[in-house]
This record gives sequence, structure tokens and C-alpha cells, in this order.
Amino acid sequence: MAHTGLVLPNSGHNRDAEANKFGMWLFLFTELLLFGGLFIVYMVYRMLNHEAFLLSSFELNVVLGTVNTTVLLVSSMTIAMSVSAIQMGQAKRSALLLWITFALAGVFLVIKYFEWSAKIHHGLFPGMDYYNNLPAGERLFFFLYYVMTGLHALHIIIGMVIIVFAIRQTNNGTLTAEKHSLTENAGLYWHLVDLIWIYLFPLFYLIH
Amino acid sequence: MATATAQVNYLEAKKGIMSWLFSVDHKRIGLMYLYALITFFLVGVTLGLLMRYELLNPGKDLVEAKTYNQIFTLHGVIMIFLFIIPSIPAVFGNFFLPIMLGTDDVSFPRLNLLSWWVYIIGAIMALSTLVFGDGPADTGWTFYAPYSVKTGTNVTMSVLAAFVLGFSSILTGLNFIVTIHRLRAPGMSFTKMPLFAWALYATSWIQLLATPIIGITLLMIVAERTLGVGLFDPSIGGDPILYQHLFWIYSHPAVYIMALPAFGVISELLPTFSHRTIFGYKAIAYSSLAIAFVGYFIWGHHMFTSGMSGTARFIFSMLTFLVAIPTAIKVFNWVATLYKGSIDVQTPLLYALAFIFQFMIGGFTGLILGALATDIHLHDTYFVVGHFHYVMFGGTGFAFFGALHYWYPKIWGRMYNKLVANIAFVIFFIGFNTLYFPMFISGLMGMPRRYYDYLPEFHIPNIISTVGSWILALGLILMIVNLIVGRFRGRKVTERDPWGGITLEWQTPTPPPVQNFDRLPELPKNGPYDYEHKPQIKD
Amino acid sequence: MAQSHDQHQDNHHDGQHHAVPYSEHVRTLVALLFLTAITVVVSVFGAALSTLSVFTALFIATVKVVVVAYYFMHLKYEKKIYSGLVLLVGVLFVALSVLTALEYLNR
Repeated sequence: MAHTGLVLPNSGHNRDAEANKFGMWLFLFTELLLFGGLFIVYMVYRMLNHEAFLLSSFELNVVLGTVNTTVLLVSSMTIAMSVSAIQMGQAKRSALLLWITFALAGVFLVIKYFEWSAKIHHGLFPGMDYYNNLPAGERLFFFLYYVMTGLHALHIIIGMVIIVFAIRQTNNGTLTAEKHSLTENAGLYWHLVDLIWIYLFPLFYLIH
Repeated sequence: MATATAQVNYLEAKKGIMSWLFSVDHKRIGLMYLYALITFFLVGVTLGLLMRYELLNPGKDLVEAKTYNQIFTLHGVIMIFLFIIPSIPAVFGNFFLPIMLGTDDVSFPRLNLLSWWVYIIGAIMALSTLVFGDGPADTGWTFYAPYSVKTGTNVTMSVLAAFVLGFSSILTGLNFIVTIHRLRAPGMSFTKMPLFAWALYATSWIQLLATPIIGITLLMIVAERTLGVGLFDPSIGGDPILYQHLFWIYSHPAVYIMALPAFGVISELLPTFSHRTIFGYKAIAYSSLAIAFVGYFIWGHHMFTSGMSGTARFIFSMLTFLVAIPTAIKVFNWVATLYKGSIDVQTPLLYALAFIFQFMIGGFTGLILGALATDIHLHDTYFVVGHFHYVMFGGTGFAFFGALHYWYPKIWGRMYNKLVANIAFVIFFIGFNTLYFPMFISGLMGMPRRYYDYLPEFHIPNIISTVGSWILALGLILMIVNLIVGRFRGRKVTERDPWGGITLEWQTPTPPPVQNFDRLPELPKNGPYDYEHKPQIKD
Repeated sequence: MAQSHDQHQDNHHDGQHHAVPYSEHVRTLVALLFLTAITVVVSVFGAALSTLSVFTALFIATVKVVVVAYYFMHLKYEKKIYSGLVLLVGVLFVALSVLTALEYLNR
């Protein structure tokens, strides 16, 4: 909006990279507490169904879980590098690193898909016969497994969409060394997805 | 100043409905919230009047038991999620926070517009249960499991609506926090911010850090209803008390989402109408943060009779008393502000005084409910209904209308009829207390809440309450009509500072121009309420 | 005054000022993978630890989270307030969990 009047030094219409970053951090806090609610549910039901949770966790594939953890950690590094690249003015390299992150996210989802479909193949999904005949504790474990990894996967997908936007804007020159809030925020968001997985992995796969 | 006259005010800057619906101007967004909120508030009031009419006599007067359950649920959902949670922040926070900070907008203007749209979508979803599905939920606004999982009514849609509304609340909170951190006028440190901004700051943190928990909890209810795994159903291994925990981990802090902005409004009204600096600025500012913080750890007092462990009940009861400390600090400082002030009795001040009176009744009865032993007797009686209506309506509701009367001339550039406003206030005040005070008595006598019927010995307090509801409605109608008439026919206000206020919104032209200020805002020398060094703004 | 000065500094700040060198990212990743390896080994071969292994796993996970936040998420280079707020949110969540856990432990 063009005004002939007074321009305040602290106008809300100024570009403010710090505000963008701060806003993103605040959003990440809400995401943490969103998952936090689920972690509290997990904690309580684990306390009430100690043995069943132990037993169920053996059903999950530690190898695939470890591979996925590695994939996510590497993708976290590539997106962090991408932020460094755009800050140094290396737009092409930044876009390439974003593509790699995107691909790794894809790998994560594919592995997750195989894990889920193997379980569902055995009838281990809410509503299916095998699942319904399990003891209560194990049903709760798998229900939480699906909800928490499912919500996490949804965040991966959202992260991928944001990354695609960042790639487009990097390629058409909108994002530059001076102005790269989107890359930075995409990075922050992606690290959050990583952070949550860092807790999900031991809680579901490693509580033997 | 040549530019001063050339500026168009925000009301006339653009024409047409689209220029409102898609405006990113925080002032217009605030007004859009106002119109939507008042509409939903009136729907909620109507439902409340229906309930009171049903309770006029024992037995069936008007509606069946199930319909009554649906009415009080919808009344609760509308009043809590559609009115009182957004109320002061969304309307007056949006409109005045940036101006009070001396800036021209919030940090993320487009996000601000998005929150309004998300709010409207959520509202439509909540009201759609009236028409679609098997009718509105009949669970109470708390959606307690396992009943909420089993009932045939349209709980899923109500719950999703609350989820969407929570998202709107989060976005507004986020926007305000960033705005306060980034856009304060040069020279305005945190400790020179108006107390309304402080209150909104504390509120926004609660919105940000508590709302996600209810979000995920409500989604679990939806998952339960669609997948039926027994997450909260004891017959298949779940724990219904866990639902209550999660629900109140949000909903108790949410009480402070509703109350803190009201504290902020009162902290503005009292200095303005006693024309002196606020007593205990820092104590009031920091006690908002203290309330927000302590408010997180006392949710269990809603569950004393739910079957929680004895230790937890003891801990929660003790922690609950802690929150009384910062709240009392505020009240003492407010009263001390009035002392030796040159008090100008105007309509907004009347609302502020009514607030203090009613909020104290609400607060003290809250202590009675927070004490473990007395709560066992009073839990789920009308005493609780009386208590939270005194806090929410007598407190926040009155602060909301006080704020509306206070900022009215700044918003519309016109003045309502002050005499009519005062008469409306008196009727409103009498109606309110006639309606809700008897509930304490019937509650102490043991009348349970949430039934469409009651034993004959509770008849008298119920008659008084219902008559009170009519008086209240009369006062409300008179107030709203007066405000609407004033909007179009009221005396024009052109002076910048009709009340003699000191915060920065009184330095702007009336109504404010699109970019809020026509000259650099001047801060008083020693803090925001320094009446001795009040900047003299001449037109 | 303080504010505008602040803002000015920030704008300068998020230019090419704090581009983290690639080598630091690589080192961070190596550390994270190392921690992952430990946690897997403890879990798979240390089954006898029982309940203790959960706390070990959560402890290592927390260390990993701190590493990610500190290096990848640039908390190392940000103003102190960011770390403070992250800490606050963490403490808040832990407090909520502990209070809930207390209730169930005392049933």
C-alpha cells in the first residue's frame, strides 16, 4: 500500500527477517506441544501396560527404524547445508541440497509405507480381526504407533511441500543471500520433524 | 502539518464488502471479529434464555431432556470457543495493540486475516451441527469421554470445529507475540508498554502453548469415534480420566486466556478515569506472567471427584491457591489506583468497577471450589455454574463491554448516548447479579447442574434466576441498541482524546487513519501512565 | 531507540553474516549418527537393563535433540532469548508430564 503519509521506523509492513524466524520458532513450539499431548498419552498407557508395550515393541523392525533414523538425520544435514549455501549466495547449490533433502524425505516415506503395509497385511490395524483380538495394552501400543508415526509422516509431507516452494523460489531468484527467510524456515521446520522422530524412534522401536 | 488533514480514516479508505472481508488492516479485522463475535454471543444468549425458561418450574416447561442437553452444550461451545476465548484479544487486541505500541500493523498482517477466516470457518462448522447430522452434541462443552465417543449426536463436527477455532487462536497469539517483540515504538521497552499489551502478551503465550494439547486431544476423540480402539473407554483398556487430564491441561490455562485480557482492559480503564498513574505497574505486569505460568499446573482441580489419586488431589488443591496470589495483587493495585485519583464517572468506569466487584465474587467462590474438602460437596452443583459465570461473564464479559464503551469513540468517531448507556449498565448489572447469585444458594443446597429438571425445594432460587435473565436481556438489548444508534446518529467525535487517556491510541486522529499515526508517537517520560508528563498533542 | 538499533543490527545480522561452514554440519551429523548407534546397541544388546534402558534411550535422544537444536537449528548463533524460550517450553512439557505421572503413580 502506497501512502504519502508518515512512515514509521517500526512499521509492520517492513520486511523483517528476524520476525519471520521468531514466528517460525513460535509455531514450532505449538507443534512440539501438539506431539507433547500424544507423548503424555503414550507415557500414561505405558505406565499402565508396561508388559504389553514391551512385547509389542518387538513386533517393530529395528533395522528399518534405524535406517529411517539415519535417512532423516542425513536429510537434516543437507537442509542445514542448503541454508548455509543460500547465505553464501550459492543459489544453485542451495537448490540442489533442497532436492536431496526432498529425495531423502521420499525415501523415509517409502520405508514407512513398507513398514505399515507389512503390519496391515497381518491384520494389525484398528478395526481388523487380528488387531481386535489383541490384549488391550497391545492395541493401545499399535494405535499410538499409527497415530504418532502417521502424524509425523503428515508433517514430513507438509515439509516436502514447503521444500518444493523453497526450491522454486530459489531457482527463480526470489530467495537470495540477503533474503532467504523461506529456506531458513523450511530448515527449521524440517529439523522439528527430525526432533520428533528422534524421540519416536526409541519409544517405539527400542524399549526392549 | 499538511499531511495530517490529507489522510483518510480507515473506515472510509476503501468501500465495498470485499474491502472488508479481505482487508489486512488490523483495525478492520478487529471490527470484523467484533461483528462476528456479537452475532454468536447473541445466539449464545438466546440459548441461555431458553435454558433459564426451561428451569423456571420443575418438570418440563419447554424442551425435552435431550434437547436441553444439546442446548447447554451448544451454549457452552458458542460462549467459550466462539465468544469469550477470542473476545478481547481478537477485537480490541487486534484493533489497539499495534496502535498502543506505536506501530501501523501487526507483524504478519496476512496471517491475521487468515486467522479471522479460520475463525469463521470454525464457527460455521460449530453452528452447522444445528442443521446437519443428528443434531448438536449433547455432551457438555467438555466432550468428556467415553460418553462423547458413544453418543449418537454430532460430536465429531463440534469437536472438529473446536479444533479449527483453536488453530485461529494459536495464529492470533503467535502474531501478537512477534508484534510485541518486534514492533514497539522506538524507546518503548517492555517495561514501558501499556498494561493491556502486557496482558495480551501473557495471554498469547497461553494460546500458543496450551491450545495444541486440546487440538490433539479433540482429534483423539474423532479417531475414537471413527476407529473405535478404546483409547478412553475403560471397558476395553482405556482410561477416561486421561481424557480429562488432557482436556484440562488446555482448558484450565484457557480460563486465563479468557481472564487475562480482561485484566488488561481494567488496567487501562482505571488510570484513564482516575487521571493518575496506575498503582504498581510492574506488579500488575509481572503478575500476568505469573498467572499464566501457575495456571498451567492447577488443571487437576476440575477433577477432584473424578477418581484421581489422593496425592494428586492434594497437590493440585495446594497449587490452585497459589494462583490467587498474583490475582489478588492485581485487585489491590487497581483499588489503590482509584485512591486519591480525580475520578471521572463515565460508562466504561462503571463497567470496570462492576468487573472488580463481580470478579472478586467469582474469585472467592473459586477458592471455595479449589479447596479439596468443600469441592467434594459442591462439585457439579449450581455453585460451580454461578462461580464461572461470575468469572467469565461478570468478569470478562463486563470488561469486554467496558472496553467497547471505552474505545467506541476512537473506533467509530462518534459517541453513544451516555445517559442511556448508564441506564443500560444499571439494568445489565442488576440483571446479571439477580441471574447468577441465586445459583450459589441453590448450589449450596445441592442442586446438580446440567439437568433440565430439579426437585421442588430449589424452585425459589430458580424463579429469581429466570427473572434475572429477563432483566439481563433487557439491559443487553438497550445497550446494543444504544451503541448501534450511536454509530449512525451519535455526536461526532473529532478530538483525539475524548476521555483524557494517555496511551498512544489517544494521540492518533479519530477515527485513526489507515497507517494509524499522522505524526511520530510521543511517549510520556516515565512509563506509559505518567500523567505528569503527558505529551500535549495539538491538531 | 534501542529497538530500532536492534532491528538494524538484525538486518545486518541475517545477511551473509552467520553462514555456518559445511564442515560443521558434517561433524554434527557424525555425532548424531554415533549417538544413534549407541542407543541401538544399548537397546538390542542391553536388554537386561530393562527399565533403565528406557531412560538411557530417552537420555541419548535428549542429547541428540540438543545437538540438532544447537547446531542445525542455529541456536548456537541466535540471541539468547531463543535458547531461553526453547528451554522454557521443554521445562513446561516435562512439568506437565511429571505432574500427570505423579497422579498415576499414586493411584
